[in-house]
Parts: sequence; structure tokens; C-alpha cells
Amino acid sequence: MSTEAQAVCSVAQSDDFVREVATASGANLAICLQCRKCSCGCPVAARSDLKPHEIVRLVQLGERDGVLASRMIWECTSCETCATRCPQNVDIPAMMDALRQASRAAKKTAATTTVPVFNDIFLRTVRRLGRMYEAGLMASYKLRTFRFFEDMDKVPLMLRKRKIALLPHKVRGGAERKRLFDRAKDMEGKSR
Amino acid sequence: MSCVFYPGCSLDSTARDYYLSTQAVAGALGLELPEIPDWTCCGSTPAHQSSELLALALPAQNLLAARGKTVAVCCAACYSRLKAANHTLAHDPKARAAVAEALGADYDGSTPVKHLLEIIVRDIGLKKVAERVVRPLKGLRVAAYYGCLLVRPPEVTQFDDPENPTLMDDVLAAAGAETLDWPHKTECCGASYSITDVSIVHQLTRDVLAMARDAGANCIATACPLCQLNLDLRQREIAEKFGESFDLPVFYFTQLLGLAFGLKPAQLGLRSLVVNPEPLLAAAGMLGEQVAGQRQGCTGCGH
Repeated sequence: MSTEAQAVCSVAQSDDFVREVATASGANLAICLQCRKCSCGCPVAARSDLKPHEIVRLVQLGERDGVLASRMIWECTSCETCATRCPQNVDIPAMMDALRQASRAAKKTAATTTVPVFNDIFLRTVRRLGRMYEAGLMASYKLRTFRFFEDMDKVPLMLRKRKIALLPHKVRGGAERKRLFDRAKDMEGKSR
Repeated sequence: MSCVFYPGCSLDSTARDYYLSTQAVAGALGLELPEIPDWTCCGSTPAHQSSELLALALPAQNLLAARGKTVAVCCAACYSRLKAANHTLAHDPKARAAVAEALGADYDGSTPVKHLLEIIVRDIGLKKVAERVVRPLKGLRVAAYYGCLLVRPPEVTQFDDPENPTLMDDVLAAAGAETLDWPHKTECCGASYSITDVSIVHQLTRDVLAMARDAGANCIATACPLCQLNLDLRQREIAEKFGESFDLPVFYFTQLLGLAFGLKPAQLGLRSLVVNPEPLLAAAGMLGEQVAGQRQGCTGCGH
């Protein structure tokens, strides 16, 4: 079978994955022209393992494991340049969000990233306090990722420059907030 | 005009100087910015990466609390999340129903959201800005840096030209600054990778700093707490890592505007800046009594 024929066959077999990602993200992945405009403007394409147009193609081809384990979905900065410049209006940032969630659900997340840990701590802080609490966030993040010394030289500077508060600011409405987070978790049917 | 203010978490902590200078400048322009009572976090990037429902419900909750008034925002990330929620909830009935179920209250996406730059240029007007200037920003060659989330995606934010925005340039030019035509206005700084993978921020922020320097800037103006923090706090380590020198003070545009309005450095939180702006401001005659003395009328209350 020619490479092209193989590709056509694998597209036929890959319907599930592409449909799953398209449904979760609302992005119309089938209309990508592979023009690479997304990758040309992407700030992290040069350093990552896959480029945005490659991710789209691999999703079309049903390469579930390769996509979900890629570093790219965790190195994408959500800068929206790809979506802004795409001549076909493919919502690549929404696709990335859907892939991040699928990657975590499938426990395929690249070992190199600490973004999921950061996201979890961030959202837990918002659930509990209503607002971000940088000092607490950083302490929890460092404990979970064993990055105790990274940026520790910045702490005195940031305190002196009044950039971090030592105590959290708690907003009223804690019970409603917890209910919102719990309901969102139930409705989306996944653990967080 | 009547607004309510959504400061967002950064303006409560790392960008306290943005908060102070925003309130000071708004006051000087006759714009009142009362905070939305008990506002909560917009969810930022962690919410949209983790849960579409939370990414919509958290902004919706705050936009409902605005009770129909225009919501003024300064943080580009909050602005982006509030605008994105409005856009989705106004166009997607299924998402709207899901958010109503999660939140226990229906929100139709109709609360107007505006960035302070939009309010200053489009509602207050550059003429009023120019009239209020007592100390023109002469000698400042400013690279106005917009970053990602004010301008993109353009159909959601409808802020300005997504490739070459000029709102901040216009405001600073009205205050007497020379603003530069430079190509990195809307490049990404790496944002919250400052915490999770600083090598991304080092590379992207270096490119922005180097381009501003090479374009002839002697300072940078920002409208986003994450951009400001990366360009300012990490400037020294980036210079060391890449063997370069930048020496570019990184202001919030509100701080520069406040200086032009004759407001005191303390009112504008200038001491929170990491790269010391004093040599530049002193050389430009922006500090010191002899300049302030040239002002007409009362220095204390702005009349």
C-alpha cells in the first residue's frame, strides 16, 4: 500500500479520536490545510517535540498515544497566535485544552511537565479562598515538585518590592464556591 | 461614565503598583473605579486548561455581580477570560445552560467588558488625556508592549488590530512620549511558565527585550501583570544567561501616564519596579522639584 493509501486508511480508522477531540473542543479539525501558518507564528514550536500543525495532523490520523504524551500540549503558552492567523479558523488553542484534559484522563501526561500540578494547586486555592494566594501557591507547588531552591533568591526581593503578601485574602461565599466546583466536577464527570 | 472595576488577583499582589497607578490615573481623569464586591478569581489559564465549565462559570459569576454595569479590567489575562466567557455564553446556548446549572444562576454574556486602555481612548478621549498632562514624557522612547491576550483572538476581544495595535501608543503619545514602531508588540512573553518552565520565559522574554532595545527604546510600557513581571523581575537573570545587557525599565502604561499628570512616584508604586527607572526619569527631567514647580496651579489635587 502506498503511503498515501495508508494515510487514507488510518484516517478512516481514526474517526473516534478526531471526533472525540472535535466534540470536546468545538474545533473543526477536518478542515486544516496543513499550511503551517500556525507553526510559523508559534512561540514554542522551535523548542517542542511537535509543532501545532503536526498535532492537528496526528489527531486526524488517530495517533492518540503520541499526541496525548507529547510535550507540546504542555509547552503551548495559549498565546492564541495560531488561531488568530489560521486561514481556516481552526481553533487550535481549544484543541490543546481538550488534549490536555484527555492526556490527564488517560494518564499519558509527559513526565517533563509540572503544569498539571500547578493547575491543580491553583484551582484548589481558588476553590478554597476565592482568589489567588501566591505565597501559598508557591509553597505547595515547591513541595509537590521538589523545586525547593528555584527562584528562592526572588523571595526577599519580592517582599521588599511588595509583590507578594504573606497572608491570604479570603473572599466571602466559600460554601457557594465549593458547591460550584463540586457541581462542575460532577457535570464534567471527571476527577480533579 | 459609570463602571465597576474587576482588579483580578495579580493587582492584589504582584502588580500592586498597577492597581495604585490605575486608581490614581483614573481619579485624575475623573473616572471612578469602585470594585465589584467580593470579586473572585477569573480562573485564568489553569481553569481553561482543566475545565471548560469552570473557565466559563468563574468569569460569569463576577460578570453577574457587576449587575449590568460596564466592567473595567486592567489585567490582560482577566480581560481575556471575561471576554471569552461573554463570547461563548452569548453564542452557545448549551454552554449557557450548563453554566446556569453549575452556578445556579443564568447569565447571558451581555455585561460589557472593557480594558482601561479602551476606556481611556474611546470613552474619555485622547484630548482629555492631553489636557491633563503637566509634565510631557519628553525623552522617553517607549516600546509599547501589548502581549497576547488583549489582542487575541480578535473576534473575541475586539480590542485593536491583532498584529499592530496602537491604543497604548496613542495614549502615551498624547502624554508626550515618543513611541516606537517595533515588531514584537504582540509576541508572547511566556506568561505563567515563569513558574512551571522558566526556560520558555527566558527565551521568549529575551527576544522581546532584545527587540525593544534594538529598536531604540529606553523603556517598555506594559498593560499586563504577567508581561510586566517577566520583563522586569527576570530581566537581570536573562541578561546574565544570554550575556547581554538591556537596562530597560518596564512600566505599566498607567505609571507613565501618572508621571505625565504630575502624580507623585509613591502614588504610582514606582518603588515596586525591579529595574530602577530613576536614572532614566531623572535624565528626562521627570523627577525633581524644578519640573514640578513649572506646573500651573495646585500640585496636590490636580486642579
